[in-house]
Amino acid sequence: MTGEDRKQEILEALKNAVVQYDEDAAKEAAQKALDLDINVNDAIFNGLVSGMEEVGRLFEAQEYFVPELLMCADALYAGLDLLKPHAETMDLGVKGSVVIGTVEGDVHDIGKNIVKMMFDVAGFTVYDLGRDVPLDKFVEEQLRTDSDLVCLSAMMTTTMVGMQKVIDRLKEKNPDVKIMIGGAPVSKELADKWGADGYADDANNALKDAINMISSLKKMKEDAEAKKSS
Amino acid sequence: MKKHKVIFQPSGRRGEIAEGKTLLEAAQSLGVDIEGLCGKKKVCGKCKVRIEEGYFEKDNIDSGMSHLSPVTEDELKHIKPEDGPGIRLACTAEISGDVKVFVPERSRAGKQVVRKAAKELSIPLDPAVRKYNIVLNQPTLHDMTTGDYERILTFLEEDYGLKGLSFDYTALKDLQDVLRRGKWNISVTVWMDREIIKVEPGFVENCYGLAVDVGTTTVVGYLSDLTTGRVVNTESMMNPQVPYGEDVMSRITYAMSNPEGLEIMQKAIIDGLNQIIRNVVSEIKDDGPDPGHAIDDLTIVFNTAMHHIFLGLNPEYIGRSPFIPAVQDSLNVKSRDIGIRINPAAYVHVLPIEAGFVGADNVGVLIAEEPYNQDEMVLIIDIGTNGELLLGNRNKIYSTSCATGPAFEGAQIKFGMRAAPGAIERVQIDPATKDPLYKVIGKADWHTHLEKVNAKGICGSGIIEVVAEMFKAEIIDKTGRFAKDVRTSRVRKDTEGKPEYVLAWAEETSIGTDITVTQGDVRALQLAKGALYAGAKLMMEKLGITKLDKVLLAGAFGSHISREASLTLGMFPDCSIKNVCAVGNSAGDGARMTLLNKSKRIEADERARWVEFLEIATEPAFEKQFMQAMHFPHMKDSFPNLKSMLAESSSGKEIKG
Repeated sequence: MTGEDRKQEILEALKNAVVQYDEDAAKEAAQKALDLDINVNDAIFNGLVSGMEEVGRLFEAQEYFVPELLMCADALYAGLDLLKPHAETMDLGVKGSVVIGTVEGDVHDIGKNIVKMMFDVAGFTVYDLGRDVPLDKFVEEQLRTDSDLVCLSAMMTTTMVGMQKVIDRLKEKNPDVKIMIGGAPVSKELADKWGADGYADDANNALKDAINMISSLKKMKEDAEAKKSS
Repeated sequence: MKKHKVIFQPSGRRGEIAEGKTLLEAAQSLGVDIEGLCGKKKVCGKCKVRIEEGYFEKDNIDSGMSHLSPVTEDELKHIKPEDGPGIRLACTAEISGDVKVFVPERSRAGKQVVRKAAKELSIPLDPAVRKYNIVLNQPTLHDMTTGDYERILTFLEEDYGLKGLSFDYTALKDLQDVLRRGKWNISVTVWMDREIIKVEPGFVENCYGLAVDVGTTTVVGYLSDLTTGRVVNTESMMNPQVPYGEDVMSRITYAMSNPEGLEIMQKAIIDGLNQIIRNVVSEIKDDGPDPGHAIDDLTIVFNTAMHHIFLGLNPEYIGRSPFIPAVQDSLNVKSRDIGIRINPAAYVHVLPIEAGFVGADNVGVLIAEEPYNQDEMVLIIDIGTNGELLLGNRNKIYSTSCATGPAFEGAQIKFGMRAAPGAIERVQIDPATKDPLYKVIGKADWHTHLEKVNAKGICGSGIIEVVAEMFKAEIIDKTGRFAKDVRTSRVRKDTEGKPEYVLAWAEETSIGTDITVTQGDVRALQLAKGALYAGAKLMMEKLGITKLDKVLLAGAFGSHISREASLTLGMFPDCSIKNVCAVGNSAGDGARMTLLNKSKRIEADERARWVEFLEIATEPAFEKQFMQAMHFPHMKDSFPNLKSMLAESSSGKEIKG
């Protein structure tokens, strides 16, 4: 078996471990990748993250549901914990920094945590403000960290209305910042009305959007690498 | 062709309808039943509907009369001032923009089935309101230093031992006339041995009270004879606040985002309750300008949001963390102060609430089932639009509230509907052929596939049962995913490529399309049942227990779901099926008990403070518990009782663990 075949096999094993939510298999494959000195960024992006993309597809097709998704995430983190210390710092040509939180008055954060995880995986710097976050805190944190993206989450109709205020204040301070809103009561129409740049009405959409971002990030990374090698 | 958004209330059915279609056509295509006796000839006037004005955040719809064709002459002949504003004939009004349409009770072809019937209560009779007969001597000049009022008080003290009573001002105004009309023989109505709230001529024995349960969806009033404890009449209606939001949160939002929102919704529920009062007293009294005045006491339970709106208190702060209510304790409010048209001097007794999201209705459940007097560990699940749980025994009881979403009420389910004629409520699936048998509300027999049964959709109890049957027949696996290798034409892909199960073929229905259970429906149910199970599990951990002795299913819906199906799906941790009981509308029972026995009011006040509320959403273990609880019956927990139940029924289904 050539080195390249061996590498493909391990990437496939990482991917399958995530899809089949098998933490032990993920750890085992990650260790093998390290032992064989496979490029760690490759292992993360073309192994673990590819697996998560497949999970996203299954989730969208409703074949996987929240429990499976969270278990896949556990497997992914199991592999990531081993690989990450060895990863090179990636210069992707983007800042890749995001502020995320559940808005004031709302304590539901499972959806937010799933989205956060995806950004984590994608190599974003994530500033997680947690739940029940005072509206102004989002604005302050965005300014402090100069993040490109702010993600707002709400599970309840009553707290969802706070999002509009955050969007207004953010856009006022920094018109370039991108804002994504999510949560059960949120709709595309509301996102448009309030001037958000993206929306996710459930974990399904959040994941899809997050994956789109990761995919485009991967593309940027590939382009950057292509440039480097040429 | 241009299409517009149309939403029908209270059914919640919605869709995109082509411009120029009438509201009646829209209703028919969306499976909403509106009376149309004359067959669209515009002569019967039965199809009156109300157009909601304004912007509704939750539905993101801007609705108004201007989004319909102009009112016609024919319509004006039928629309009367007492119908109120915004009324149109559905057969005539044509759609030219987005509209939210409320179909009043009288215009609905299929009336909702009331599932909150009263059961017999055994409780010592000691009502808060009693009538006392008073016979005075006709006063003479010797008595001229004593007023009528004082003479009554003296009599009550001497003959009945009631000391230091006060007199309601309006009752006092009637006193002189009543005394003389009754020829010095009168009956006085006394509240809590404290206050005289009515005087009537002659010897009056009958005394009535009304127990009210205001649910998010349904309002029900039980007229009780306070001298016998019996329910004389029961009346119910759809909660008239439904047009302002189907769930508690959207109603709170309506109050927050519309300047008069709170007032509008308060008026709606008070008008609705007055309607119930008018209807309910027809059994005992049908004359006089104010027949409702025959009612001398009223007790009421509801969730916290309905509580605040009823009392005109701002519900905003209970709609957001940390969910602080305006008041927790019970209240006694003069009926006339909030416009409830019973005896104007009578009190409305509002039961206490437990916490921001566990309301007086749960206190009703608590005092009706009295888990605090038992040694057994009992889990009480009150399932309505929200799910409230109580768990414990005489030593300790926890309460919590679970965001189950409206899946149990048939909302968010593709062919979901409320429990009304045409709703599929019971289902059995043959594990071999995967063919179903089902029963439709309004039909006595199970459907045999030989006749058209006019099924329209699936109600909450039907959803539970069909999903449990699909699990047993291995159409779905324990993760809720459709099995790939089921060989039946009933399992197929929908237009989006997602799997679904055909429960009723189009020709068996009255809506002209197949009624299916989709993968999305199963997912919605998993979220709802997972929340309940996780709540119960976290409370069990707090109490340090690993098994339940008893499970009580309360609420209108709790009484109608199959106990077996709910155990099969794992709506709660494993328990012997013979100890899983449906207890009916316990919240309403609690309200009736406080009507019949005043010590129950003290018990309610004390126990509401004694029960410990557990906020589960912020428990660190919640996410994990919730996740594991979404599987059927559970990802990890063992179900020995369920296992033996299924073995006995020889369904062939094996549960691991």
